[in-house]
Amino acid sequence: MSAVREETDRKIDELLGTFPRKGSALLPALFLIQEEKGFISPDSMEYVAGKLDVSPVFVAGVVSFYTMFYTRPVGRHHIQICRTLACALRGCRSVLAHLEQRLGVGAGETTPDGKFSLEAVECLGACDKAPLIQINGEEYELLDPKKVDEVLDRLE
Amino acid sequence: MPDSKPIDPIHPELPTPGSDEVSLLIDGRPIVVKKGTNVLEAAARLGVQVPYYCYHPGLSVAGNCRMCLIEIEKVPKLQIGCATPSTQGMSVKTNTERVLESRQGIMEFLLINHPLDCPICDQAGECGLQQYSAEHGRGFSRFEEEKEHDAKREAIGRDVTFDAERCIKCTRCVRFCDEISQSHELGLFERSDHSIIGTFPGRPLDNPYSGNTVDICPVGALTWTPFRFKARVWFLKNTPSVCAACARGCNIEVAVYKNRIQRLTPRENMEVNRYWMCDAGRSSYEEIAARPRLDRPRVRTGGEAPCAASWDDALEGAAELLKGIVSRHGTKATAAIVSARLTTEDLYVARRTLVDAIGIPRIAVPPHEEGEDDDLLIRRDKTPNARGAELIGLGRPDAGRIKEIAGDVLAGRVRGLVVIGEDPLGDGLLADSALDSLEALIVVDRSVTRTVEVAHVALPSRAWGEVEGTYVNCEGRVQRTRAALRPENESEPVWRVLSDLGRRFGRPSEYASAAHVFDEIVEGQPAFEGLSHKVLGRLGAPVKVE
Amino acid sequence: MASEPLLLKNVGIADSWTIDSYLKSGGYEGLKRVLREFEPEAFATEVKNAGLRGRGGAGFPTGVKWGFLPKNKDKPRYLCVNADESEPGTFKDRLLIEENPHLVLEGIIASCFAIECHTAFFYIRGEFHKGYRIFKRAVEEAYEKGLLGKNIQKSGFDLDVILYRGAGAYICGEETALLESLEGKRGLPRLKPPFPALVGLYGCPTIINNVETLANVTLIAERGAEWYASLGRPPKNTGPKLYCVSGHVKKPGVYEAELGIPLMELINERAGGMLHADRPLKAVVPGGSSMKILPASKCDVLMDFDSLMEAGSMLGSAGVMVMDSGTCMVQALLNLARFYAHESCGQCTPCREGTGWLVKILERLESGNGAESDVDLLSDVARKVEGHTICPFGEAIAWPVQSYAAVFRDEYLEHVKRRGCPVGGPSLV
Repeated sequence: MSAVREETDRKIDELLGTFPRKGSALLPALFLIQEEKGFISPDSMEYVAGKLDVSPVFVAGVVSFYTMFYTRPVGRHHIQICRTLACALRGCRSVLAHLEQRLGVGAGETTPDGKFSLEAVECLGACDKAPLIQINGEEYELLDPKKVDEVLDRLE
Repeated sequence: MPDSKPIDPIHPELPTPGSDEVSLLIDGRPIVVKKGTNVLEAAARLGVQVPYYCYHPGLSVAGNCRMCLIEIEKVPKLQIGCATPSTQGMSVKTNTERVLESRQGIMEFLLINHPLDCPICDQAGECGLQQYSAEHGRGFSRFEEEKEHDAKREAIGRDVTFDAERCIKCTRCVRFCDEISQSHELGLFERSDHSIIGTFPGRPLDNPYSGNTVDICPVGALTWTPFRFKARVWFLKNTPSVCAACARGCNIEVAVYKNRIQRLTPRENMEVNRYWMCDAGRSSYEEIAARPRLDRPRVRTGGEAPCAASWDDALEGAAELLKGIVSRHGTKATAAIVSARLTTEDLYVARRTLVDAIGIPRIAVPPHEEGEDDDLLIRRDKTPNARGAELIGLGRPDAGRIKEIAGDVLAGRVRGLVVIGEDPLGDGLLADSALDSLEALIVVDRSVTRTVEVAHVALPSRAWGEVEGTYVNCEGRVQRTRAALRPENESEPVWRVLSDLGRRFGRPSEYASAAHVFDEIVEGQPAFEGLSHKVLGRLGAPVKVE
Repeated sequence: MASEPLLLKNVGIADSWTIDSYLKSGGYEGLKRVLREFEPEAFATEVKNAGLRGRGGAGFPTGVKWGFLPKNKDKPRYLCVNADESEPGTFKDRLLIEENPHLVLEGIIASCFAIECHTAFFYIRGEFHKGYRIFKRAVEEAYEKGLLGKNIQKSGFDLDVILYRGAGAYICGEETALLESLEGKRGLPRLKPPFPALVGLYGCPTIINNVETLANVTLIAERGAEWYASLGRPPKNTGPKLYCVSGHVKKPGVYEAELGIPLMELINERAGGMLHADRPLKAVVPGGSSMKILPASKCDVLMDFDSLMEAGSMLGSAGVMVMDSGTCMVQALLNLARFYAHESCGQCTPCREGTGWLVKILERLESGNGAESDVDLLSDVARKVEGHTICPFGEAIAWPVQSYAAVFRDEYLEHVKRRGCPVGGPSLV
């Protein structure tokens, strides 16, 4: 099955030997697949289930449990804005409203050109930098609408 | 166990446990249980029913429903009874205010997002939510919000329908597929109150035991598709019986409404099937019911079409034909094919009549095999009473002996053939051309089979579901099959048909009932020593092995 | 109060996360001392004597926890480092991981030596992308310098550290959910007993310690139990502590102080005081979002385990969320309730169903459509969750609900009377 590239397949094989039980390789293997493909399809789930000797439905259940695994493609720039209390106290609502207005999509949506996905997420554990967003894992802190514009202007 | 002297409920002297036992107090009452017995089971032994949903004695403990919270002395938090092993000297309370309040709380939580569609729910009447909300619920709703909505009427498997809104996420079905059928079709998806049971795309719930998920679903989330909207369960009359679809002999309940079987469900027997049965067995009644019924005796003379006849005329006719052959060709020109699907009582009377009274020298029992034995219940041998046939002295099912008889029929060496409960023509064991040389083909059957159609005399019998009797399963356990249906035709139990035929050959014995036949079997067969229908009861008993 | 930073000693200096920088300031000397001078059990006793209490939230004495490991060693034993910092208002472990990873790693090695464990897992929150990169590099450096791997510093002690990324689930900060996740499963908390010290990762004896806890072990390794036990408010609240201050203060951030710093000193002196001069303090959540809220009138309290317990809250993760007079307490709670409803693992009934119900009641109150009885209903639903769940998540939602609705009952009733918010600050939901 050519569900993943050879290199990903090799890395997953390496993972199997990293842990005392190979089941532990599931989360890191899913990250590798997602890194390659951008999301995790049913085909990928079947592939990784076969690698780890677990059932595909088990893999699908795991994928659906964790918020960082996606079952559909996300935008090239995945903007995640923290919505939880510490950020809310520092005005994340207005940052989110600005993002929604500028991108023309609501939280949980992707722009039609596939450039941006916007997602409101729970506490990112950086409340001293509130309000903050992560874009593809990079953090942008102490935001206001003006700073948001500066950040977005720099993105392809 | 405690002796008869009255025990102070506050400071009782706990009875001394055996080496593998512990003694504890439940609601102030002492009990001795095996080490490792959980508190729920210990309480049940005292008749104290602690409510639960997710716990099932045949599955691992999940502890997620939280319905069985109980209080344990010196433990600050309430504990779940299903995950609490009984320990020496512990004192458990199942009915304190705290416990009752927690139960009411859990009930309320379980119902807030439940659709309360009991009027159209097949589980109604045997639903844990209905039962416990009557016993432990608040009686009115404080939930004014919009309920969470989910998939309804989803065909999650071949014969199983899923209603996600009714589901309480107890995961019994998931655990069943992981631990018992080991087919791993079901899983839990998402989290929070969006949690949902589901399958993987393209891999529906489709294993040979899928129906058990319906049985163990404590609510109406999983329903058995063939049973949907067939009958309200409170109108069903359940009869404890035994499945006849293979040699395992799973204990079952036969549910009947308007004199039709509506469903079969497994009945706990730890010696045989534990809590489970296979889907093939569960559906077996449908195929039987679909076959056209032979509802009265038939007689055919010459090349004419068969005509209905009275029992007397038909039996007389059969006897005359057989007697004629014996007098013309001797008994060696007779043979019989007898089914291992018959009860032990049927088989016994068959032997008495065919062998002892008529003198038929050769009786063959055809095998019915399909697939392989699995690790759980399913047997390759699809007859329920092959061991019974062997113990009665008719021999094991043997394809070779059938062939031999078929060959002799073709060659004209066998002129009279008695067939009981088998369809050798339909099954291809006997060629149509064989009929040319047969002077007598006497058939006893429930249905109008191909063999019945060409028989000289066809006698209608009752069959599984309509008769009392016993089967001996593959492990040598004698179990009772019970009459759940009322006959709506002239059919008679096989043992009575053969007994009546035997009388025409000078055999005097008469039986009042299958139990009576069984008593006679017991007298002559050491393997059955000490048994009777009554002794067998609901769970059966093993035969004596020499 | 000594003001010498201990946990944050290196923070702020150039390349603080590199091993060279760490070694320059005397790093790994404590570990070397332990490997040289202690038997494993003796160092475990040292940690016990130091009075170190877990910094993850529960405040359980670390040495005592280690003592729950079985005596026989027929199975491997594991240390799992809980770096799944997810409690809203908490960001101290992240700082340690990003700025002072070797302080943590040194503590991990010393702790593994104490409990005779040869494989440690570092379970780090998936969202901590930078922290993961930095800690991974730190582990590689430690291998290069002979501080990890076989025969560490010729002591005969072997240890491997394996990094493991979470994938987005608050519940995985609960120690048994963390183990499930580490085994590659859905992060569903396990039934206890058995406790992880006996049956943990892969069914083997397992200790789960928080990042900051392990950083404190380094301090004990360096300077001994006696010194450590003199810090803070002995005998039961010893050592330094990282406090995360967020919300309506001028300088949100992580501040180190010995256990027992007055809350108001933390807010006014360390964090620069209230953000807006015209909006006075209204309330503080002292220990992360799961802890009970303190109204301004009760904020004259010392920030340690026992003092906060007496004040009716808990130190928890020391996530101090400061709220000023413009904060609507219905919205604040609704914001948190949505967090908990989203993060409930969905396994057990009270939490799965209760969290969603609480959100719906709060939404009704917030939108001005609530009834007076809803305020009591909130508390009652929380009470039906509390103590009835598989894991402490039940308390984590019940406590804030009960405390917000009780402490600010009048404000909640005002929402009903006025059919809307009487506070009028910026929206939190």
